Amino acid sequence: MTAPTQGILVIVLAAAVALGFGIGGYRVWKLYRYMRLGWDEDRSDRPATRLRDELVIYLGQSKLFKRPYLVRGLAHALIFWGFLVITLGTVDLLLNGIFGLHVPGTETGLFAWTIDLFAIAVLASIALAGVRRMFFRPPTMHVAPGGYVILVLIGVLMLSLLVFESAGIAAELVKQGFTPPPLAGLFAPAVRGPYAHLVFAGAWWVHVLTVLAFAAYLPHTKHLHIVTTLPNVLFRSQRPRGALRAMADLEEQETFGAATMRDFSWKQHLDGYTCTECGRCSDQCPALATGKPLDPQKIVLDVRDLLLREGDLLMRDVHASGTPPAHQTETKPEELWACTTCAACVEACPVTIEHVDKIVDMRRFLAMMESAAPPEAQRALTNIERAGNPWGESREARADWADGLEIPTLAEKPDAEYLYFVGCAASYDRRNQRVAKALAAILRSAGLSFAILGREETCNGDPARRIGNEYLWQIQAQANIEAFDRYSVRKVITSCPHCFNTIANEFPQLGGRYEVLHALTLVDSLIKEGRIRMAREGPVDRGNVSGHPERTTSSVDLAGGREVVAYHDPCYLGRHNKIYDAPRAVMDAVPGVERVEIEPHHRERGFCCGAGGGRMWMEEQVGQRVNHRRIDQLRAAQADATKVASGCPFCLIMLEEGVGAKGLQEQVRPVDVLELVASRLEGSADASH
Amino acid sequence: MKLLVCVKQVPDSTVRVKVAGDQKAIVPEGVTWAISPYDEYAIELALEHKDANPGTTVGVITVGPPRARDALRQALAMGCDDATLVTGADVETLGGLATARALAKVVDEATPDLVLCGKQASDDDQGFVGQALAETLGWPHVAIVTKFVASDGGTEIWKEVEGGHEVWKASGPAVLTVQKSQKDPRYPSLPGIMKAKKKEIPEKDLASLGADLGGPSVEIRAMEPPPARKAGRVMKDGDPKALAAELAKLLRDEARVL
Repeated sequence: MTAPTQGILVIVLAAAVALGFGIGGYRVWKLYRYMRLGWDEDRSDRPATRLRDELVIYLGQSKLFKRPYLVRGLAHALIFWGFLVITLGTVDLLLNGIFGLHVPGTETGLFAWTIDLFAIAVLASIALAGVRRMFFRPPTMHVAPGGYVILVLIGVLMLSLLVFESAGIAAELVKQGFTPPPLAGLFAPAVRGPYAHLVFAGAWWVHVLTVLAFAAYLPHTKHLHIVTTLPNVLFRSQRPRGALRAMADLEEQETFGAATMRDFSWKQHLDGYTCTECGRCSDQCPALATGKPLDPQKIVLDVRDLLLREGDLLMRDVHASGTPPAHQTETKPEELWACTTCAACVEACPVTIEHVDKIVDMRRFLAMMESAAPPEAQRALTNIERAGNPWGESREARADWADGLEIPTLAEKPDAEYLYFVGCAASYDRRNQRVAKALAAILRSAGLSFAILGREETCNGDPARRIGNEYLWQIQAQANIEAFDRYSVRKVITSCPHCFNTIANEFPQLGGRYEVLHALTLVDSLIKEGRIRMAREGPVDRGNVSGHPERTTSSVDLAGGREVVAYHDPCYLGRHNKIYDAPRAVMDAVPGVERVEIEPHHRERGFCCGAGGGRMWMEEQVGQRVNHRRIDQLRAAQADATKVASGCPFCLIMLEEGVGAKGLQEQVRPVDVLELVASRLEGSADASH
Repeated sequence: MKLLVCVKQVPDSTVRVKVAGDQKAIVPEGVTWAISPYDEYAIELALEHKDANPGTTVGVITVGPPRARDALRQALAMGCDDATLVTGADVETLGGLATARALAKVVDEATPDLVLCGKQASDDDQGFVGQALAETLGWPHVAIVTKFVASDGGTEIWKEVEGGHEVWKASGPAVLTVQKSQKDPRYPSLPGIMKAKKKEIPEKDLASLGADLGGPSVEIRAMEPPPARKAGRVMKDGDPKALAAELAKLLRDEARVL
């Protein structure tokens, strides 16, 4: 089709293009410069993976297709793919209009059909979206007027496209030799006649001017995400999800953490531009779900809005620093402290925004610059500093759990193949000491060569890092790296996902590189290798591996028959480290255990126990306790489960607290998966000795 | 106002202290050291005054072995302006009176408006040095302090008593032994820690102070760990009301806590 841009109209078109793209481009330029106020974070590593992510996540829209958003995800994907194709057509229109050129391929029947079908899909999707927003709006969705403006603009674009295609066919401007596309072909007869050329020209101009209005309008709204998602996905963090960003050279820096717009990186600002305000992160946040003031979407938008407000001032005056977000009336410290760093928000976000890093960076400012971490959290950190564990228990008591079990320390057995890094919880918390004993019994029964650090073990600093005290984490991590290297440790086993995460994913930032396995991954392999034998039946109460008479409420007993056990995904094992299958495989291998799931809140959508992000050491003052909500979910999904198993000491503590507080001790008992295995170990009754 | 805080470095409360073979001292190996908790309150009280009255300076001193520098660095990181270490031969076995006399020499030189210490150290709990220091200086002393405010012609000092406070007024320099600060002792910020690392901590030699380090002192004859805890009693069988009555009786008559 030839564009209706004869004579002076070419000039008009060129001017309109300049105006549309000029206004839009000016805004983009400004936003770019604001973004560059952020510091220069290097996101150039792993280019091949970045490209792959771009194809899968951006082009493939993969993160849109997550439950429970499958239909909505499809609608959006169609709009997006439609737009890609139609944009090609738009480029062709403009080129054609100004220079009389055509983009190769846009004159083909295939192209006309593709455009047509996508136009239908897009129209259907926006109709769906419009109806939903007007008549079936979910309570968490807030629709600004701009939302409707965009829907109308898109609608106009699609309709005008269809009209001028129809008119074009009617005016026989289309090359002969192919079947007209469905909708365009449908309209064609309706626009036959002497006015077909006029209709064509009219629709053409409406379409082009709408496109240009779009170009001018887009960068002033959240719909800029259409453009910014491309770089946002390309430059997403390729660190393991559980690893927070390293802070090098603490000794040389003068400020720590994110307080002003200059303290966030350019990528964090790009995150702000890319937020589509879809609310999927808010939907998944356990803090928001239980009435805490934290809303991950709000955090992202607060920083964005502050950048837009302060951008001009900061660009003008290189010495100005602006006001820290945590001092604004918008983002209050309690919002930041409510985060459990469970990363459900990061998992849910279709455009790869990194909420957790932003929150921790702001915590870093509060914790290290202002010493303003919540007092109970600070006490835990002081305890780590002075006693090597957040509980403040004596260093000398660290290996007391192993008394009488004859577990060698590395000092006694320096050639042990594995180091079992016990962690503070299993060392000092009575309930979790049983898990350490269970693991020791399992490793012994499998004939594994292992040792512990004993009194030389100290906290690896994970709580400190999550709370934002990077300095203390570095001290603790370094102390452990030194101890590991003193014994030339190569392989490390942990029974705690937090220990696992920091040793495996974060110690390398300080030069400590080891082969790290969570106990359940190891036990899974050992079972598959046939190195662990489990009996269906055995002496009752053998799960009480320590041999001491203790409360039977939390010991694993061995009923002869089947027991229904629900699996609870620990966030730092599952979402952070993608270990979903090994614990399940281990459970499935335990005779007499029937594994059930806490649907829909399982695997990637697992609901946090509430203890992550240093929150184990903080009080919950508002709303329902996160762990109590989790118990509610468990009981709603699997009322028959007599046990709930996880692979994390914090989860165990939180689930025990929740069960106890709700008086459900007789109905369901929290256990560690390792305890299920240990209680069925074949061999002598005293499998632990 | 010029404030001077005297602190003592003691084993951290999480340390399981072991008695040495000669039963006269603790085993120093493996001990984590910290500022004595009441001294921390004293530092905090001084810093709170500084926050409210810019222009206040807070100096901190300790009499102790070289490792006590760490305690001083912690105080500097919290926000104190300067620190001094008084050390020398036999400083670890220095008695309370000698310590007070040594501190008095430093105070004479420094001429602060107020001296603050914790009311007692958490290792020996003698509660002596602050009072002895006041006596040696000839200054008035207020104990169990929780608050002080500069006022016309002196300082108003709050002393905690059972059920309330007494408010005293010192018309000149005084020694305060501190019970508690208004807020919990502040945690050092990282910039504070970094700055403290670089600060110079001058040393004064104990012997050259010219204090009389002889004189009456306390000699430790023997030291032993507390007796091992006996097993507790579990009371579970029976009517709750009867159990409660029995428990109350035991708490009053046997445990003597009621």
